[in-house]
Amino acid sequence: MNNNFLPALPFELSYPLLFGVLLVAGMLGGEMARKAHAPRILGYVAVGFAAAPLAQWMNLGPLLDAGRIFVDLALGLVLFDLGRRMDVQWMRRDWTLAAAGLAESVLTFAAVFACLIAFDYTAVVAAITASIAMATSPAVVLLIVQDTKAEGQVTERALNLVALNSLLASILTTILLTTAHLETKAEVESAILHPAYLFLGSVFLGWILASVARGIARAVEKTAELHFTLIAGLVTGAVGLAVLLKLSVILALLAFGLFTRNDARNFDLLNVSLAPASRPLYIVLFVITGASLPPEALVTGAVVGAALAGARLAGKFTGVLVFSAFGGLKLRQSVGLACSLMPMSTLALMLHHQVARQYPAFGAEVGAAFLAMLIVMEVMGPLAVQWGLGLAGETPREA
Amino acid sequence: MPLDFSRSAPLTFGVELELMVLNTHDYNLVRGAPDLLRRLEKVKLPGGEVKPEITESMIEVNSSVHSRHEALLAELAGIRDAIVACADKLNFAVAGGGTHPFHLWKERRIYPTERFQRVSELYGYLAKQFTVFGQHIHIGVENGDDAVYLTHQLAPYIPHFIALSASSPFSQGEDTSFETSRLHAVSSFPLAGQLPPVSTWAEFNAYFDAMKGYGIVASMKDFYWDIRPKPEYGTVEIRICDTPLTVETAALLAAYAQTLSAELLRNRRSMPVEPLYRVYGYNRFQACRFGFEGELVSPFREGRVRVADDIVETLKRLEPVAPALGTQGALPALARRVTFASNDSLWLRDRYRETKSLPDVVRLQAQRWRNDPPPQ
Repeated sequence: MNNNFLPALPFELSYPLLFGVLLVAGMLGGEMARKAHAPRILGYVAVGFAAAPLAQWMNLGPLLDAGRIFVDLALGLVLFDLGRRMDVQWMRRDWTLAAAGLAESVLTFAAVFACLIAFDYTAVVAAITASIAMATSPAVVLLIVQDTKAEGQVTERALNLVALNSLLASILTTILLTTAHLETKAEVESAILHPAYLFLGSVFLGWILASVARGIARAVEKTAELHFTLIAGLVTGAVGLAVLLKLSVILALLAFGLFTRNDARNFDLLNVSLAPASRPLYIVLFVITGASLPPEALVTGAVVGAALAGARLAGKFTGVLVFSAFGGLKLRQSVGLACSLMPMSTLALMLHHQVARQYPAFGAEVGAAFLAMLIVMEVMGPLAVQWGLGLAGETPREA
Repeated sequence: MPLDFSRSAPLTFGVELELMVLNTHDYNLVRGAPDLLRRLEKVKLPGGEVKPEITESMIEVNSSVHSRHEALLAELAGIRDAIVACADKLNFAVAGGGTHPFHLWKERRIYPTERFQRVSELYGYLAKQFTVFGQHIHIGVENGDDAVYLTHQLAPYIPHFIALSASSPFSQGEDTSFETSRLHAVSSFPLAGQLPPVSTWAEFNAYFDAMKGYGIVASMKDFYWDIRPKPEYGTVEIRICDTPLTVETAALLAAYAQTLSAELLRNRRSMPVEPLYRVYGYNRFQACRFGFEGELVSPFREGRVRVADDIVETLKRLEPVAPALGTQGALPALARRVTFASNDSLWLRDRYRETKSLPDVVRLQAQRWRNDPPPQ
């Protein structure tokens, strides 16, 4: 008898099956976290922590590589959404907002840089690490804002500051990478041309996509469903294009979001909510991030990692507290705002991987300490945001 | 203890305007009132004050007491400019209009004061649905008896104020087919309605004491009537108007109320008040649903009359009274609106037809509030 129609043994595990399982497990983890009054994200990440050894045992490759497409798409959606919430006009009207953003980024950079120099790291490694540490995780902040239904000045300011520091961090990291190239004797032209291509190219791609989005939006009926499909398609396409053209996914998507932001001249594109549809992607994003963080780094990098986390916290708090006071925020609002800038997650991890790929010495030198800080902030960050927005009075009392 | 009616200079007037606080990315209502009010505390207003309202997405502007329409308009424009300047710093927009076209009531949050929290506990979802935006007009009267008289005599003109101020055609994301949908949020309250057919302040006091005795009300604030005497201020308060899209319209409506009150107080009517209320609910509905095209019935005459015609006729009758009050410019401006059947609901529906998006409508609504008349 021919048994070809039956599956062959042993079973070969496929990634779709794995992702399905991770998604459902992540969702359940999130609900358990919520029952404990903790942010859902902690549940997702915890499932990731648990899944890592399991994936290893089943002989699967690193999840971050296999799930790259999900991570890129989720991050693409997050950055696009964040770009949409960023308001350059507001920063012009209220200088204290832009000042707080610049100050917390610069001070974070300075504090982390000084800290690493004190631990005898080279200037290039210290600078690259410091530039990555500037970024706040956009996904964590956006997701907690969604989950807690936070609304108000601190929430809006936090989202703008996150957009700003993510932007600065990704630009600076790119430029510093070229300095690293210089040290390893790469050609001077590529040292200038590469960051210029990355920066200008990514922004230009964002602008083109925003124009295309508006053009198509004008041609179809103005309904939320159609515009949602349009944006989802273009965001996915943008991620693909940015990878294809070797541009920065982060910059291109932030720029795309920023350029689609509606201003007085142009309201063709509806501001549709991406939240419900993008949730599964976000869950997978955090599970994979959790699975990609090596817990052994907590041991090897503990001391320097703790110092880094402390320096980063000091930089962000100082920058925000000083300028928010000028902006008329109450102290508890300023503290809440500073807390909202604490999370580090996938964005930092991706930047770290990008650096480690292009500049392997970096990974070996500072890797453990950086990852230790990342693991700590992956857990403390969401708690800080939830607590901070509550302190500022922006989460509903009845919820 | 009887309610004391404070005496105020007859025919002085003032307005309250409830306004929406909006975010600037999708123009939904936003929890912005606490921060906006805190910032406004540090700003010098040309007069009047700005206060919190039942949910955290609303603010209320109170003008000071005026006797001339131009002075009221100038003050309202000044307060508006101050609010807009503060809102800019916080990245909020502010707009007029009787309802927010697409907000969902369940997303609103009750303003954390003791009174609002109590109202919310008592009325449940009605409190959040009460996130609607109205204009109240106060007219000064000499004594309580005049207040009772004027409250009754203004009742037949309620459809005029509804049609002229209508600015809430959309509610919860839908075109309601009404010129004003805001009043439905008011009508749901158990103490909505109108003054009972008392004819003197003493009779009203007896009624109030009885209601207080039953434990139904604690103060005048508990009556959500369309028109009510306001003994603390010494005024009659018309509470039927939607907040218009511009301060200009708000001042015009106040001028109409002032002139109408002057005429009613000068040429005292002696017909019984009870029949007025037989047709009250019907006429009110007609104006809410059809605006200027609504058809009014009167207990004192045969047939029906269009709201528009009734307004034009009334404005004509007021002409001799207007010059003394300085409203002779305001009344023709209102007459023109009636002639062209133009009110804010029409404007909002036109904008929706053009943009096909309610967030866009709100954005334009906020722009109009800000720029019309231009900032001083």
